[in-house]
Formats: sequence, C-alpha cells, structure tokens
Amino acid sequence: MVTLYRPGDGPWYRLPTGWKTALLLVVVLAVCLLPPTWWAAGVMAAVCVACYAVPGIGLRELGRQAWAARWIVVVTLAGQLIFLDPEHAVANAARVTTAITLAGLLTLTTPATELLDTVERAMQPLARLGLDPQRAALTLSVTLSTLPVLARLARDVREAQLARGGGRSLRHFAMPYLVMVLKHADELGDALAVRGVR
Amino acid sequence: MSGVELENVTVRLGDTDVLRDVTLSLRARTVAVVGENGSGKSTLARLLSGLAVAREGTVRVLGLDPARQVAELRRRVAVVFSNPDAQIVMPTVAEDVAFSLRTEKLSRQERTERVTAALGRFGLADLADRSSHDLSGGQKQLLALCGAFVRNPDLVVADEPTAYLDAPNARRVADHLLEDAAHRMVLVTHDLALARRCDVAVLVQDGAVTRVGAPDDVLAAYEASIRW
Ligand SMILES: Nc1ncnc2c1ncn2[C@@H]1O[C@H](COP(=O)(O)OP(=O)(O)OP(=O)(O)O)[C@@H](O)[C@H]1O
Ligand SMILES: [Mg+2]
Repeated sequence: MVTLYRPGDGPWYRLPTGWKTALLLVVVLAVCLLPPTWWAAGVMAAVCVACYAVPGIGLRELGRQAWAARWIVVVTLAGQLIFLDPEHAVANAARVTTAITLAGLLTLTTPATELLDTVERAMQPLARLGLDPQRAALTLSVTLSTLPVLARLARDVREAQLARGGGRSLRHFAMPYLVMVLKHADELGDALAVRGVR
Repeated sequence: MSGVELENVTVRLGDTDVLRDVTLSLRARTVAVVGENGSGKSTLARLLSGLAVAREGTVRVLGLDPARQVAELRRRVAVVFSNPDAQIVMPTVAEDVAFSLRTEKLSRQERTERVTAALGRFGLADLADRSSHDLSGGQKQLLALCGAFVRNPDLVVADEPTAYLDAPNARRVADHLLEDAAHRMVLVTHDLALARRCDVAVLVQDGAVTRVGAPDDVLAAYEASIRW
C-alpha cells in the first residue's frame, strides 16, 4: 500500500518538500472538516481529481492509488454502514480515501531521503524534549522499507505450509512466521550496526 | 600495516565456547575462512566486525580493539552478510547506498557523486531509482556490496556473500571482492574454488583454528579431514 517515489517531472515534483507536505496536510485537514454529506463526498472526489490531474501525475495514477487502498476503503465503508446511514458512511469513507491518496501523492513525488530530511527538520523542536529526530526518522524509514519483506516472509511461510500439505491454519502459520520475523529483525539489527547506526 | 591479530581468544555464546583459545595473526591481503557447518566461522566474522565480543584474550583488527573502538572500527571495516534481504534498509537503490554515507560529513553533491560512482562500479547505475526490494537476489547482493564499498573501507569482512547466488552472480560478486586491491578482505566461504583465489586460508574446526597457510595446503587438509 505504501507507494514509493517514482521519478518524474511536473508541479508536484518541483514544489519544495516542506511546502508540499504542509499544503497536502492543510488540504487533508480541510477535507476532514467538511460536514458528512453527499456533496462533501463529491467535493473530496473533486479535490483528489484536481490534485492528480496535473502534468507528471495523471488520473490513471489516482486510479492505481485508490485501487491499492481498496481494502481499507471497503472495511471502513462496511464498518460504518452497520452503525450509520449511507450518507454518513460514504462521506467518512471518502475522507479516508482522500487522505490516503493525497498522502500517496507526497510519497510518489518525493524521494524517501528528502522525506526523511523533512521529517527530521520538522521534529527538530522535539529534540529539546529528549527525542532524537534523526533516530526517529530512521526508524520510520526502516519500518517502511521492511513492509515488503514482511509480506514476502508471510507468503513464504504460507507456501511452505501448503507444500507440506498443511491447511490454512493460523496456528501453523503464526509460529514459523514469528520466528522468521524475529530472525529477520535480528539480522537487520546487525546490518544497521555495521553500517554505523548505534 | 596491521591486519588481524587474535591472542588466546575465547567467545562464548549461551553456555558453550563457540571459539576456543584462538591465536591468529593475519597479514595477507585476502584471507579465506573455511570449515564445516557450525564450526565457528560466522562467529569469527562477527568477532572481527565487533558484533560478538571475546570473553577472554585480545582482539586487534587494523590495530583497533573492536570492544573499545567501535566507532573507528565501523568507519574502517565494512561487513557483508549472506542474506541479501536483511541488508537493505532504504526503499530505493540509490538511497540505500547513500545510507552508508550518513555518518560522514559530506555535502549533498559530494554524497550524490560518491553514490553514483559506486553504483556505476557495481553495474547498478540504471537501477538507481528502483525499489530496492524489487531487485533480484543477485542484484540485492551487489547492492549490499555497493553499500559496503561506498565508504572506501580498509577491511571488508564477508560471511558467505555468494551463498544465495547463482553461478554468474556469485562470480560477479567474488570478482568485486577479490580484484579490488584497495582493501583487505576476510572471506568466509563454502566455495572452495573461491577460497583458492585468496592469498591465505584459515581452517576452523569445532571452535578452533587448526590450520593457517597457503589455500592449496589448507584445503587439502580440510578435504582429508572429511571422513565419508
Ligand atoms: N546465539 C547463539 N547461542 C548459542 N550458540 C550459538 C549461537 N549462535 C551460534 N551458536 C553455535 O555456535 C556454533 C558456531 O556457529 P557459527 O554460526 O559460527 O558456525 P558457522 O561455522 O558459521 O556455520 P555455518 O557454516 O553453518 O554458517 C554452532 O554450533 C552454533 O550452534
Ligand atoms: Mg555461518
């Protein structure tokens, strides 16, 4: 679900990372403050389209992002439909979708290193509270780049389970998966240490 | 120039001595470490990398004590492991290489230049902006090497760096490791042809170093010791 930087050109690429982050944050915030109505959902969709329909990005990419977020959207929508009327539910799901796709716009047009630098700078004031911005930013990025590995490990364990004639039992999945994840964490810790992280 | 000096070194993991009373003086540029599974090779590599500590004895790597001079050791010694996946820490190829330069005070431009040059050397220039986790196993291992070499280390410690690779990729990785004369090399390997290409070989058996010398002699002793 986490999209990665895709090199390109266009207004979103040229905007300095700090401003871009702030701008998208404001838009997402504004969208969240709209009342939960049909027309608000329409406005949110229009905002997404407007943000993506610029040179260098395109509506096809919006489709891809929305598709990648489909399960979150479905779960949100289904959950809300149980308790709320359709108008509320759709508007809330639209909020979530907008937030995800606009966040995707940021990661899509900004190299991770620059995003990290920005996070680091934004957290600088917290340094006085004893927080280490560099460490925090690093943790964030390692977490992001580890997600694909965790997904692949899950697939490996599942396939090994099926290959040995096991069914889809959670119990037989959880143990080996946990062991593999811990082993990976251990190895990753070593790799970080030897590359100068303390 | 000093290489690796071990004097009566014992390393204990859990409640067993995984390395016992090892004394070793290595001055050759490239050193192969061979031995059976579980004999203690990785532990030796971890000891030289500062990831395992000696319980007894003295360890000197490039004249440094890994237990006390970790920061300096990290600057001068690069380490490559066998699992390509567990060595990648950043989302894209170029960023992963740049990560190794994090602790060096470089301008953005200097950093980019160093990264670009390193990627070119390892044939990864075209993949610079690709997602690092989408690379093939061989490409990932080349990326791991690239991340190690971009810092211009004086010593590279590699623990079975070709274990997960097919023959052409293993060959490519081995060539990078052995042919660049700018650094020293300690190479743990089960690939005896690769071990033969080193200047000196070390045989580890059951936690002890039993032979040190010309690869041909050491490997002959190793093969003779294996009883079928
Ligand atoms: N964390 C640990 N705790 C206890 N014992 C360990 C630990 N790690 C390794 N060992 C034991 O230490 C011994 C040496 O392990 P080591 O990984 O150094 O062997 P190796 O020569 O690298 O083997 P291989 O060729 O299989 O990689 C083995 O018997 C192993 O079981
Ligand atoms: Mg080993």
